[in-house]
Amino acid sequence: MPDCTAPLWPCGMTGAVACLAGIPDLAVVIHGSSGCFFYPQSLLPVPLFSTFIHEREVIFGSLDRFAEVLGSIPPSYRRVAVVTTCVPAIVGEEIREVLPESAILLDSPGFAGQMEVGYGRALAALDPGIDHEEKGVNIAGLNLLDPFTSGNLLEAGRLLSLAGATAGTRIPQDPLDRISRCGTMTVSVNPDLPPGTGEVAGSLLGLIDIEETFSLLGDRIPGVDISPVLAETSRAEERIQRAADKYLKRFDPPRAVVFGGFAYATFAADTLKRYLDADILMVGSRNGLRASPFPAREMVQIGEISGFLSGEKPDLVIGSSFERSAWPGAAFVGLTPPLRGRVLLRSRSLAGIEGTLSFMEEALNACMDRRRKIRG
Amino acid sequence: MTLNPLPWSSFRLEGCTLTGGLSVTTEVTDGVTIIHGPAGCSQHNASLIHATLLDHDTPHLLRIHSSDLDEVGVIFGGEGALAACIREAAAGDPSAIFVLSTCVVQTIGDDVGGVCRRDWGVPVISIPSSGFLGGGFQDGMRNALIALGDLAGDRVEREGGITLVGEKNLEDDVEENFREVSRLLALLGEKVRLRFVRGIRGADIPEISRGRLNILREPELRAVGESFAARFGTPYLDSFPVGLSGSLRFIGETAGFLGVDPAGALEEERAFQDEALAGFEDLRGERISIGPSSGDTADPFAIELVSSLGLLLSEDGVPLPLPSPPPVGTGGLVRLLHRWRRVLHA
Repeated sequence: MPDCTAPLWPCGMTGAVACLAGIPDLAVVIHGSSGCFFYPQSLLPVPLFSTFIHEREVIFGSLDRFAEVLGSIPPSYRRVAVVTTCVPAIVGEEIREVLPESAILLDSPGFAGQMEVGYGRALAALDPGIDHEEKGVNIAGLNLLDPFTSGNLLEAGRLLSLAGATAGTRIPQDPLDRISRCGTMTVSVNPDLPPGTGEVAGSLLGLIDIEETFSLLGDRIPGVDISPVLAETSRAEERIQRAADKYLKRFDPPRAVVFGGFAYATFAADTLKRYLDADILMVGSRNGLRASPFPAREMVQIGEISGFLSGEKPDLVIGSSFERSAWPGAAFVGLTPPLRGRVLLRSRSLAGIEGTLSFMEEALNACMDRRRKIRG
Repeated sequence: MTLNPLPWSSFRLEGCTLTGGLSVTTEVTDGVTIIHGPAGCSQHNASLIHATLLDHDTPHLLRIHSSDLDEVGVIFGGEGALAACIREAAAGDPSAIFVLSTCVVQTIGDDVGGVCRRDWGVPVISIPSSGFLGGGFQDGMRNALIALGDLAGDRVEREGGITLVGEKNLEDDVEENFREVSRLLALLGEKVRLRFVRGIRGADIPEISRGRLNILREPELRAVGESFAARFGTPYLDSFPVGLSGSLRFIGETAGFLGVDPAGALEEERAFQDEALAGFEDLRGERISIGPSSGDTADPFAIELVSSLGLLLSEDGVPLPLPSPPPVGTGGLVRLLHRWRRVLHA
């Protein structure tokens, strides 16, 4: 029997909007109803536009409405991107004629697939280009839906600076003219979201990947000195090991499950295994599978996830607020959107050295808090 | 300042029937709601409602299912996907299955009612909704309340007590508003017997016919009040209390419906209001401006509050926020005044 319980990963329309909305001089117009507008607007910390179509525009056409909406967009936006939602995509009204010639028109209805499908289509429409004169190292994998994006960006910039490299284009969170002039090398803070251009030096998720990525940058970019980065990863490694040893002197390793995008979830599982000898019961991926050293399955439906949690009874759950609600007795660390029910104001990273430190800090504290609660 | 460029015409901003319907049906805790449409619609709404539950400190999981209509379903029809989803939901033996349709389903023309009318072994209720094509949030909410009322049957056994109808389950202060209404009712020696629909089980639904008075959350739900009045003979008050004099009027009107003397309750509430306002004496004389929370003119409750506190309305005064919908009862005004004080003293 199919699992029809509510899916937990956003649709392609939301993914497309999340990608395009990162470009500060691009006005993103959601061509759809207020119902489709409110969800991405509730998650994305930037202003979005919408045609807010009503029944009559579906019947009589929405060209007048487009003229009205386009006229209200401030001139500070250099270009416009229109993302069509489900009904306009089905109706297939020809709207190109009312859009400026430079406008991006993206067909990304929710029924076409998940978040990554829309994000990928949007990035392809932005068409990031290479400028061989550009010396900066691009930072990719940024996604405004991701609660770690601003922290990841800060941390990636910090590490590049530490190595004497220049941060290049932030894909896709720079003005349009910079998107068209990316450097040749890229580091990624989330490999689930390929940059669509240039050579990826590697990921900044986890201390080992950071070292490997910076080693490659050091080999390829003249003047880059990776020794400060390597020294900092060594110090971070020591600090984590000391904290983990102290924990393991008192407690058994956690039995953990991790739910999230595949790259983040694998990073979390690998980090828990490496430092806490955690028993990784499952990596439940929201967005497809690649090779994994851990038991891994694509798990997107809340019914399947709830059933797994109540069957396995893990004592550490890494995931979204859905998983926290589904298995409230476990220690919980937020990794995956949505992270609801908590106030999140500061920039928190998952990538980079600070990201690994931050993740382990949260995991250790969550596990210790749970143990204390159990012991009373 | 908000950076969010929203249009002035509020009818475009109402959200879709789906969210309105879901805000009702998901509060039948042993029922299942199926969203017939693309998975994204379920994810959007489940995420928004889940966030609200967490904000309300009720972190249970919603029983929302999705027929997960994909591109193939859009082209060839989604009735098969809906039937498979109902079959799966029915296997869990819910008290009822509520089916809400999306705009996609309306556009492709599935016969949702026909699928729901098959014998599934549990009640399967098609709530009139078609995403934004079926109206807005309020329409979805209204339709869901009336459809759930239909589940109560026609037998009326009057037992007394008050029923709250159509609480706004997604508003931040839904529980605070409930407590405020309960406080005012307690002044008359009355209790809420049923919250229709908030945190009830399927077996509780017939209780809708048994109360002496229905109190609607807001006047936009009058069609629901009329429906239940015609069906069960239950009179209704068309709104939760708004404003200082509105709270007193609420007591008086409720007492009128119940046939009790409101004098003592009114005296107590007047004293409560005097004491509450005395706590904001420091605001007297402040120059402020207020806009309408909705519509074109400033809300009477706000004008009354400003006057009672001795605030000075001025075009160049400090603009103060007004919530929409307006605060409930005297307690809601006190919370609003704390926000005003924060703005004035920031």
